[in-house]
Amino acid sequence: MPWVTVEFEEHTYRVPVARTNKGVWVGWPGGSVFVEREEEMAARAGSKEDCVIAPMTGRVLEVKIQVGDVVESDQVLVVLEAMKMEYRLCAPRAGSVEVVGCVVDELVELGAVLVSLEDT
Amino acid sequence: MKVLVANRGEIACRVLKTLGHLGIPSVSVFTDPDSEAPHVWLANERYALGEPRAYLDIEAILKAARDTGSTAIHPGYGFLSESQEFASACAEAGLTFIGPSAQAMRAFGDKRAARTLAVSVGVPVVPGAEACNTVEEGRAVAQEVGFPILVKAAGGGGGKGMRLVEDGAEFEEAFLSAGREAKAAFNDERLLIEKYVFPARHVEVQVLGDGKNSIVVGDRECSLQRRYQKVIEEAPCAAISEEVREAIYKSAGALIQEVGYLGAGTVEFLVGPEGDHFFLEVNTRLQVEHPVTEMVTGLDLVAEQISLAHGGKLPDCPRQRGYAIEARLNAEDAYNGYLPQTGKLLMLEWPEIPFVRIDSGVEEGGEISPFYDSMIAKVISWGQTREEARLRLISALEKLTLLGVVTNQSFLLDLLKAPFFEDGETFTTTVESKTWSSPLAPEFVDFVGKREMGNRPVEVASGSAGVGDRFSPWRNLGSFRMGE
Repeated sequence: MPWVTVEFEEHTYRVPVARTNKGVWVGWPGGSVFVEREEEMAARAGSKEDCVIAPMTGRVLEVKIQVGDVVESDQVLVVLEAMKMEYRLCAPRAGSVEVVGCVVDELVELGAVLVSLEDT
Repeated sequence: MKVLVANRGEIACRVLKTLGHLGIPSVSVFTDPDSEAPHVWLANERYALGEPRAYLDIEAILKAARDTGSTAIHPGYGFLSESQEFASACAEAGLTFIGPSAQAMRAFGDKRAARTLAVSVGVPVVPGAEACNTVEEGRAVAQEVGFPILVKAAGGGGGKGMRLVEDGAEFEEAFLSAGREAKAAFNDERLLIEKYVFPARHVEVQVLGDGKNSIVVGDRECSLQRRYQKVIEEAPCAAISEEVREAIYKSAGALIQEVGYLGAGTVEFLVGPEGDHFFLEVNTRLQVEHPVTEMVTGLDLVAEQISLAHGGKLPDCPRQRGYAIEARLNAEDAYNGYLPQTGKLLMLEWPEIPFVRIDSGVEEGGEISPFYDSMIAKVISWGQTREEARLRLISALEKLTLLGVVTNQSFLLDLLKAPFFEDGETFTTTVESKTWSSPLAPEFVDFVGKREMGNRPVEVASGSAGVGDRFSPWRNLGSFRMGE
């Protein structure tokens, strides 16, 4: 993966970049960021409000709800374990559980939809 | 002698490097997700363990040692390094466990027993209690000591299985979840409870023992922590007076001497604003942050461990010279709850700077998997003064290029550049008492990103989130086999 030379606003920068099929990683002295393709960004934004999405790849320790349960905002729905730490994932809003997309002990990928909510 | 290293990642690499330059034959072990990991090939021989949790499987490790004709085992840190059961099993199998005796592990490996021992030799401890097996027992102790309290795993360290509990309402869930986490990390679900002392500095003492005599090697300050895990460590502690240092060394020495300690160990203390110190625990193993002590003393602590385990002599008591600072580079989103991150290291270039040391267990193209700890590397600098070490470490982190996984790189720089760090105003609560927000990326970043994805064809499907790109010509190829 390459370093590229970039002319930007009358300055020249030497920048490390790494492409993936979802976008481009770009670095600078002391940091880096993933510049996402616009279509990827749009696809993600649509689902955020009503879903609990796995914030990292990990193993499902506990699923605290079932389809049809009425939940409150910030209620713990799923407990995930990654790198030997536990993370409690909470409801983004009040609602009822429409789909449970994971089972206990399952290894889920970053970005997987674990629970989706609908209006009660 | 042939040494099997029962660990992975940076510490396995660290130990294997010393075995390499000492000319001692070595064996690495690895699980399925680690089959391509760098530590595997640093050893003279390698042995497949299978499933991801096998680093915790005593029988599997002992079988690996038997099958390879190993004579000694170095456990690294984490995993089985503090398992008394493992140390005993090694002894029974006729293997030299490179660590303390089972007796010393009984005394210290268990935090409850260690507290009791400290009290008996007159070393001050944090108010709390050793025994709380059920939620009810735990709650009673917590109420007696008074909230806020800390729930800690009795069987291990590293912040795993540890919870700060502010009041009674949070107690039950914190207690149960800490127990589960402790079980997963150390195969030991027992907990203890301590009063939460603040503001305090975390100061620890590196010791070595030969089974009879012991020496204090030096001290470290590791106050900067998040979620009870250290992020920045330094040696020596710049904030304590020589009198306080002497008192802490005396406490550490008394504890170590009492059990006839063998090998390397660390005695941890909290130091209050008046310089009063409280014993926390003894870690009966090499610590993650041992390199800062190596940098200021010139001792190779792994070499000392190996020598002492085989009946070698204690080294001369070293003097600490200059200052060293270590930053832990983790795969985590430091600005978003320190969530662990996974992915592929698409680009990785380490800085090459005088007096800077990198301890890592990964290489470009490697995966950061969800199975293990999130630490990618430790970046350690030395300077004649603390300020010189600080500036070198900043420079090293700025010259480190890592793409493909979100890391805490810029967060580490935020910490090192913060006025409180420059002034040495570091306490265990400092990191979490402040709000940290992601720095703005330079303006050219978006421009470069858009240009790179627009002008050039996408070449690689990479990262754990890789899904076939719908514009890729490779999609239309159908299935084929190489060579057909």
